[in-house]
Amino acid sequence: MPNAISISNLSKTYEGGFTALHGIDLDIRDGEILALLGPNGAGKTTLISLVCGILNPTTGTVNVQGHDIIKDFRAARQLIGLVPQELHVETFETVWATVNYSRGLFGKKPDPALCERILKDLSLWDKKDNKIMQLSGGMKRRVMIAKALAHEPRILFLDEPTAGVDVELRKDMWQLVRRLRENGVTIILTTHYIEEAEEIADRVGVINKGRLILVEEKKELMRKLGKKQLTLELVEGLPELPEALSHYDLDVQDGGRRLVYSYDTQAARTGIGSLLADLNRAGIAVKDLDTEQSSLEDIFVSLVEEAR
Amino acid sequence: MNFEAIKAIYLFEMARMRRTLLQSVISPVLSTSLYFVVFGSAIGGRIQEVEGVQYGAFIVPGLIMLTLLQNSISNASFGIYFPKFVGTIYEVLSAPISFVEIVIGYVGAAATKSLILGVIILATAFLFVPIEIRHPFWMVFFLVATSITFSLFGFIIGIWADGFEKLQLIPLLVVTPLVFLGGSFYSIHMLPPFWRDVTLFNPVLYLISGFRWSFYETADVSVGVSIAMIFFFLAICLGLVWWIFRTGYRLKA
Ligand SMILES: Nc1ncnc2c1ncn2[C@@H]1O[C@H](COP(=O)(O)OP(=O)(O)OP(=O)(O)O)[C@@H](O)[C@H]1O
Ligand SMILES: [Mg+2]
Repeated sequence: MPNAISISNLSKTYEGGFTALHGIDLDIRDGEILALLGPNGAGKTTLISLVCGILNPTTGTVNVQGHDIIKDFRAARQLIGLVPQELHVETFETVWATVNYSRGLFGKKPDPALCERILKDLSLWDKKDNKIMQLSGGMKRRVMIAKALAHEPRILFLDEPTAGVDVELRKDMWQLVRRLRENGVTIILTTHYIEEAEEIADRVGVINKGRLILVEEKKELMRKLGKKQLTLELVEGLPELPEALSHYDLDVQDGGRRLVYSYDTQAARTGIGSLLADLNRAGIAVKDLDTEQSSLEDIFVSLVEEAR
Repeated sequence: MNFEAIKAIYLFEMARMRRTLLQSVISPVLSTSLYFVVFGSAIGGRIQEVEGVQYGAFIVPGLIMLTLLQNSISNASFGIYFPKFVGTIYEVLSAPISFVEIVIGYVGAAATKSLILGVIILATAFLFVPIEIRHPFWMVFFLVATSITFSLFGFIIGIWADGFEKLQLIPLLVVTPLVFLGGSFYSIHMLPPFWRDVTLFNPVLYLISGFRWSFYETADVSVGVSIAMIFFFLAICLGLVWWIFRTGYRLKA
């Protein structure tokens, strides 16, 4: 299957010398939902802005279904819709005017029926004659989505679509995203929340400090992310690990007073039951126990360390 | 060329202007009327004629030029500055259009509005003073060429400005004085020789002179020079716009 977008060696150094992206290579597959995860300032918005033509790249190339975003920018941009992170709206315009304007801007003939459908899908139809300043924040975000969809893009960028959005709208949004995907639209979204990626994405990319440190099928990542740790505080310190426990993935800490067991939550058998039974059999008394899920933060840390 | 996009920008801008049309028409009409009262009636009562033209009628081309210049610059500069300021420029930058279409859309709308204002002021002037237009073709030429040229200039200012102060700076500090000192209200032949020579460095003089010639066939400088000057300004503005296009200056980081 051809790629929707191929990014190679893309980097961005801002005026003033700060490099926000370092040589990104990324292929986005046709029809997939790709979630870009990363902490604040990782470079997600910079990456999206480069692909959409809002920033000029310092190095590298981007191809959108075979069209170079600079040499063949008209064909490339025609295919892309963008919902930016910030709420940038034409405050004094009506919803209807602004959505139709967006369609025209992308060179498409007016199509009132289509715009009507988009507004209805986003529950904005009854607001169509309202000025945008009369809308709530969540509604403004929906207007921005409507604008991005008005020219029927084949690729949609959603930069933190769920920031400042209530549960209801988030549900609607995911529904819309799934519907678009069913129609073959490729979707790239950014988020800070692993749960969101888990809910909606096919693949997940992790960006940190301007580097793409991983791109993986969601299932694979969830397996990695799904690691949990069981910490056992022992009554008495163990001089050494008994033979009976050697086949467990155990980390002995605090002079043998603490055992840390890592296991996979997604696995059919976590091994906790047998570990506890074996401890009991070996006569090791447990004072306290605690489990901890590895967080996105931990993943970042371990990934960044791996990358060194 | 993406004509749908040009149309979209143009109509969107025109709609924005339509909302504020009342203010934008009333204020120049009012100030022009005031000029007629003050210069035409009060002072004109004493001057009566300049180069064979009744004073009230003599100042009409200058007044129209004043409005044309001020409005072209402020409309076009605001038109492009505002989306930069509120961030909606992202959409224009991400659209499948080149800078050429952006310029045609924004500048075209601003120039159209100036033209409309120019015509309204001309019509207002007819109510106050007897006006004849000896060269209608050249009158329209100066009207259109000035609107376009100074809308382009305003567009450049709007791109350059990174604050509202800068947006006001050039119209206030440069353009208004140049118009006032460019022979709107007098013929440079009324000045002492030294100041007459200084005034020849004022580019606006050439516009007003040429424009007035199309009405009454009286001019401070020959009309050929005026026509050449307006093309010269147009070329400068187009050159600057081309440079902005090449470098993405203040539009794209
Ligand atoms: N115009 C700019 N000039 C200079 N530096 C910039 C500019 N825009 C962004 N940066 C810097 O580039 C880095 C990446 O910013 P970016 O907006 O891409 O992050 P992000 O991953 O989208 O973060 P967030 O999750 O907060 O939206 C940050 O360190 C930011 O300060
Ligand atoms: Mg961001």
